[in-house]
Amino acid sequence: MIVLGMSIAVHSYKGGTGKTLFSINLAATLVQHGKKVCLMDLDFRAPSLTTFFGAEKAECWLNDYLNGTCKIEKVLINHSQRINEGGKLFVALANPSTEAIRDMSAKDRKWEMRALGRLLALRNPILNDNGFDYLILDTSPGLQYSSINAIVSTDLVIVVTTFDKSDVEGTKRMLHELYELFEKKTNIIVNKVLYDVSSKSTEKDMQNKITEMYQVPVLGIVPCFCDVSKAEGAFIFTQEKPSHPFAKIVDEMANRIEKNNSM
Amino acid sequence: MTRQEVLGRKPLRVLEKIRESLDKINEKMEIMIELHKRGRKEFQLLPDAPLDVMTLLSMPDHLRKTAMTVCRLGRATAEEAAKQTHRARAVESGYLNQLVIMGHLKKERVGRKAYFYTEKENQG
Repeated sequence: MIVLGMSIAVHSYKGGTGKTLFSINLAATLVQHGKKVCLMDLDFRAPSLTTFFGAEKAECWLNDYLNGTCKIEKVLINHSQRINEGGKLFVALANPSTEAIRDMSAKDRKWEMRALGRLLALRNPILNDNGFDYLILDTSPGLQYSSINAIVSTDLVIVVTTFDKSDVEGTKRMLHELYELFEKKTNIIVNKVLYDVSSKSTEKDMQNKITEMYQVPVLGIVPCFCDVSKAEGAFIFTQEKPSHPFAKIVDEMANRIEKNNSM
Repeated sequence: MTRQEVLGRKPLRVLEKIRESLDKINEKMEIMIELHKRGRKEFQLLPDAPLDVMTLLSMPDHLRKTAMTVCRLGRATAEEAAKQTHRARAVESGYLNQLVIMGHLKKERVGRKAYFYTEKENQG
């Protein structure tokens, strides 16, 4: 069976690096490029996509699918109307209730093994049977069971990092001690960069430096934009402000991903 | 069917039987070698050793590759696993039996074929 789509996990060593921001904006940009995208919230300890997309339409949660109590089709919610034009956007949400978060934190190894099996089994029904071009998993930071399960079960891992010293050290360790062991194809996004990368030569220099530092391809270098922080995650930034430099950088990232997928 | 065709088929059947028996002997020897390595005298499954990601992380590279392949396929023969890992069938069979002895995989025989899986539920 040939699967043409691509599954992507968005991960980081530390929290607050911008995983959810990039998951949502990359998904929206790929939809604008005419693609059918499925975005899943795999951060069961701090679900965030519910705040963004609202939970009113949720018939089942991703938690229920991993618990084996419902089919994945029941979890998917069509949010294509949120994007101005292009393809389709479906979202799968994690249950944000305290009870559900507590329940997910108390799972044993056997459950985690089954969850891995269910995540691995997701690929074909999503990308093949339902015709999605991209499956994007927004994960929790660090070495949590749910995030490692996501890393193992996807084709590409996008690591979102910053120049914070502890983040750099932790990311390096994680790349070497986790991704390499699972032979993962990895790309890196460096976010909240305080240097001026507006000129092409500075950007190229920094790209080389980052590639040398982490030994993985750079998907994007994103300056610290106050406008993005000010938006407080209230809207899809690339949708609302398509001419903003942030939207342009995300657009370039989406193009690189698409090019990667067609190779 | 002509007499010549019937006679031609018999040696093939015999060869098939020999191959089947050699496979079984090979498998038993692999288990014996593994038990010897672990200082155990008889084949006894370890009670519960779920194949979760943390366990996968702690495994040596060669076993992790095999275990990941079975996780991906849900259920596989040594031949199917070998196709994915690009290693020889006999090598893969050794690793699969090693994982069975360690309690990470389960094994079931259906006719001539031996299937390896993590859990019944995950079978594809």
